[in-house]
Amino acid sequence: MATRTTKRELQPSLVSPPVAGIASLFIPGLGQALARQVQRGLTLFGSLLTLVGLFAWQVSLLATREQGIDAKFVKALDRRPAFVIPILALIVILWLWIAWDAYRQAQPGQRGGLSVFALVLALFFILGWKISEINLYKLATELSDAKGPLSRVLWPWEAAVTRDVETTVAGADILSPCDDLPPPSPPVETPGEPYVVADPTCGDLSQQVEEGGVLKTVPGTLLTVVGRGFEPNTETQIWWSDPIGNKFQMRQEGRYLAIMTDDEGAFQIEIHMPYRLIPPSSEGRQVHRVEARQVSSVGDLKFSDALKHNVEKMVETIVLGMMATLFGIIFSVPVSFLAARNLMSGSPLTMALYYITRTLLNIVRSIEPLIWAILAGVIVGLGPFAGVIALTVHSIAALGKLYSESIESIDPGPIEAIQATGATRLQTIMYAVVPQMIPPFVSFSIYRWDINVRMSTVIGLVGGGGIGFLLTQYIRLLDYRSAGIAVWFIAITVATLDYVSAEIRQRFV
Amino acid sequence: MFQIKNLTKIYDDGTVALRDVSFEVADGEFLVIIGLSGSGKSTLLRCINRLIDPTGGQIIWDGVDISAAEPAQLRQIRRQIGMIFQHFNLVKRSNVLTNVLSGRLGYVNPWSSLLHRFPAEDREMAMAALKRVGIADQAHKRVDELSGGQQQRVGIARALMQQPRMILADEPVASLDPVLAHSILEHLERLNQEEKITVLCSLHYLDLVQRYATRVIGLRDGQIVYRGSREEIRAMTDREFKDIYGEEAVRVSVVPQGREE
Ligand SMILES: Nc1ncnc2c1ncn2[C@@H]1O[C@H](COP(=O)(O)OP(=O)(O)O)[C@@H](O)[C@H]1O
Ligand SMILES: [Mg+2]
Repeated sequence: MATRTTKRELQPSLVSPPVAGIASLFIPGLGQALARQVQRGLTLFGSLLTLVGLFAWQVSLLATREQGIDAKFVKALDRRPAFVIPILALIVILWLWIAWDAYRQAQPGQRGGLSVFALVLALFFILGWKISEINLYKLATELSDAKGPLSRVLWPWEAAVTRDVETTVAGADILSPCDDLPPPSPPVETPGEPYVVADPTCGDLSQQVEEGGVLKTVPGTLLTVVGRGFEPNTETQIWWSDPIGNKFQMRQEGRYLAIMTDDEGAFQIEIHMPYRLIPPSSEGRQVHRVEARQVSSVGDLKFSDALKHNVEKMVETIVLGMMATLFGIIFSVPVSFLAARNLMSGSPLTMALYYITRTLLNIVRSIEPLIWAILAGVIVGLGPFAGVIALTVHSIAALGKLYSESIESIDPGPIEAIQATGATRLQTIMYAVVPQMIPPFVSFSIYRWDINVRMSTVIGLVGGGGIGFLLTQYIRLLDYRSAGIAVWFIAITVATLDYVSAEIRQRFV
Repeated sequence: MFQIKNLTKIYDDGTVALRDVSFEVADGEFLVIIGLSGSGKSTLLRCINRLIDPTGGQIIWDGVDISAAEPAQLRQIRRQIGMIFQHFNLVKRSNVLTNVLSGRLGYVNPWSSLLHRFPAEDREMAMAALKRVGIADQAHKRVDELSGGQQQRVGIARALMQQPRMILADEPVASLDPVLAHSILEHLERLNQEEKITVLCSLHYLDLVQRYATRVIGLRDGQIVYRGSREEIRAMTDREFKDIYGEEAVRVSVVPQGREE
């Protein structure tokens, strides 16, 4: 290294500094090349070209509808001046800097200097920030919105247990609008039974009217709802049931309406009749109903369905990973013989087989298990089987390579020593080869088992079965607690596995 | 009586490792082979038990031509020839006893040996062999926990299990400290003298050769360039030394033991 640098310093520039500077002004990097710094010139030229390319791409993204470079640029400048102007300025500065750098490099005894590369890096960083849509402001402002879902994911255990619930309901009919006939009479009260009465028993629903382009709500008739005979000191929800059978919990100022019963199990509340659109087809008298409901848990705590499904899928996941590992080991052992150079160097035919096997293994291994899962899903459909196929294929390739490398690296000494005792070929394998193969074999297999179970937790994300599949479903249903249970299970499993596989490997190696 | 006639070995890549080598060894002899590294010592020793197949020539032991032996017969012959290696060639992860017992593989039932089952008398014999080389207390340790000198003793014990009539030792002390070299070679010497086992051993250090050899042959570029008796090797001149080891060679010696002669 040192000798190379001194050699370079001894070689003078082919051109004078001003010529080098001007050359780089026309073709960035040319001046450096003329100053016998071809690599530096090429690097700077390539960097500038890439930066200009990335910048042009970003500009055209800002103005997709415009035709022509000028129009695009003007539009982009108009939309994001804070992005376009500084980058453009920096690129121009870089261009000039490269020319100045060429001038300096061409001076005798003047070599190196990294400041120009610092500018290149800075530009790449700024463009990269834009391209990868990094937005710290968004992260900061939207983090608080995600607090609810996140906290449910982080501590999901309320969803792990449930109780059976029992609902106590009582209601009173309300006519809307009032007419000439007598309104519905209040229900008959049976002592000890829940009972609700409303006053009046007819009235107008809330209306929405447009006033100067703005929607306004005209509150409906105020009802006084009185309830008796409920569970004392218990939250009671107020529901509305319209004539076409829709029931909904009433809201007031955006909150669900609920009231606590008193010591006698009675309550009183005033509500406005809600806004309801009744289809014109429903004719005749429209009888609504106001209801009071108490939901109470009865019976013992029991495991929720979410927990049960998660346990089931976790077991499926672990089994999936183990099956894939097992198949992977079974198939990769013969494959590894074909991929071991020391075993295959006998004839040109075996050598050809060796190269084919090696190449195939490398290709298969470079395709991620998630992609194999998608491909397998196309063949056998979504589900754990697709996951098993994907992980098996990848395991064969990965283990085949590792096993074959450990076959290649076994010590031939013991083999010749055992042969020299007059042992048969089989005895030689048993006494000299197998003992050397066991540690890497066990170690790599456990390692692969570890990877496979880990992978099987996410292979469901692409339809490969296991807990990942459940996790995506819960997230789509916005059921963050159940999703949280899945996340916890995955974390616990992976951590346990980590520990167990490290222990086993330590024992054997 | 052991004879080698016109032995030649040419490797696949064209290297001529042995060129028309002929010599005889009387029973009970301690023959030392000397020569620079690359001169063909290992090739010669490995041809004798056919770990390497010779290209030409004959190896005749008590009238049997080893170089022409069929596989089954070859195994019969091999089990009577113990072999000791420079790098011990033990299965490092197995324990000492298993390594020693593997010397018995040529004698036991091949199938039960696959399950690591050995007759009780073989186990007793293994313990006796270990006692003989002074490491009976290490029997249940893994080989890689032993020192180099101890490992080579395991190698000797493994060879003893073959109840050999001949021992081939390929630079048995080259990877050991000089002090340990004597103790290993003394074991071989005792076997040679007490049990009349013929020993063919390659060695590097001239003073070890002078101390242990009953006869010496010198190899250079695959050819025999020196033959000498015990007395002759002790009186070896610088000229003869340089014929074998080349002009640049200087005599180096092992740390004096202070207990010889
Ligand atoms: N497997 C082999 N293939 C080709 N050439 C070999 C092989 N083994 C040894 N040789 C060559 O044969 C010659 C003798 O080697 P060897 O018998 O190992 O000598 P020594 O044991 O005296 O050092 C050397 O030139 C060596 O390079
Ligand atoms: Mg050698």
